[in-house]
Amino acid sequence: MKNEQGMSIIVKRITRITVSLIFLFGVYIVLHGHLTPGGGFAGGVIIALSFIHVVLAFGKDFALRRLNEKLASIFESLGAVLFLTVSLLGLFLAGIFFLNVLPKGKPFNLLSSGIILPSNIAIFIKVGAGLFMIFIALAMLRITEGKKGE
Amino acid sequence: MSLYFLCLILLAIGIWCLLVKKNLVKKIIGLGIVEYAINLFFILLGYRFDAQAPIIAKDSNSMIMVDPLPQALILTSIVIGLGTTALMVALAVRIYEKYGTFDISEIRKLRG
Repeated sequence: MKNEQGMSIIVKRITRITVSLIFLFGVYIVLHGHLTPGGGFAGGVIIALSFIHVVLAFGKDFALRRLNEKLASIFESLGAVLFLTVSLLGLFLAGIFFLNVLPKGKPFNLLSSGIILPSNIAIFIKVGAGLFMIFIALAMLRITEGKKGE
Repeated sequence: MSLYFLCLILLAIGIWCLLVKKNLVKKIIGLGIVEYAINLFFILLGYRFDAQAPIIAKDSNSMIMVDPLPQALILTSIVIGLGTTALMVALAVRIYEKYGTFDISEIRKLRG
């Protein structure tokens, strides 16, 4: 046993199987946000939970080597910029803020919502990275025994 | 009507937990229970029996739907609740780091 961090071998093995499924379910929730219940926020929370799952099972050193807080910060800013870009596209192309500039397509198809789908993807990046950053900010706090009864 | 009463009981449990418990983590959990009780009350205000989710689906023929406005409000409320919970947990960790305890009756520096 060279890797002593994290939980037991059973938890690690099950985590390897389930993390990809949780991630895939989150992507499904985001992409079908205009057809079924869900959307950018709910899908972002599910994707952040899949990363938190990895941090809990493998320990924070293993997980933060792949996706550290600087990368999460970049992703969070990217989500905000992407959402602003989608909203300003209507202003520059037709003069109205948040105008739908994309074709609407046939109803109940996957590409049938205009700019709702890019907005959902931007919100998903922002929420997923933000929630993961909240978690790792709490996990990286070094809890030490304070001076008691002083 | 009984559903509203059960919602009120949930709110009372949360407020009791907030007032009586001395552990800071239990107080945070109590505030979470209060928050969920209020969210549940708002969702119940817009709920209709034998109605469906307010989404036009391909095979939906009945147009009886629940009210989507409280659900949109509560989605915002959940996000704000997440932020306040994260702030409270961070403050509780800092207090534990400084005083070595979660019990508010043992934090002596706060007395005047």
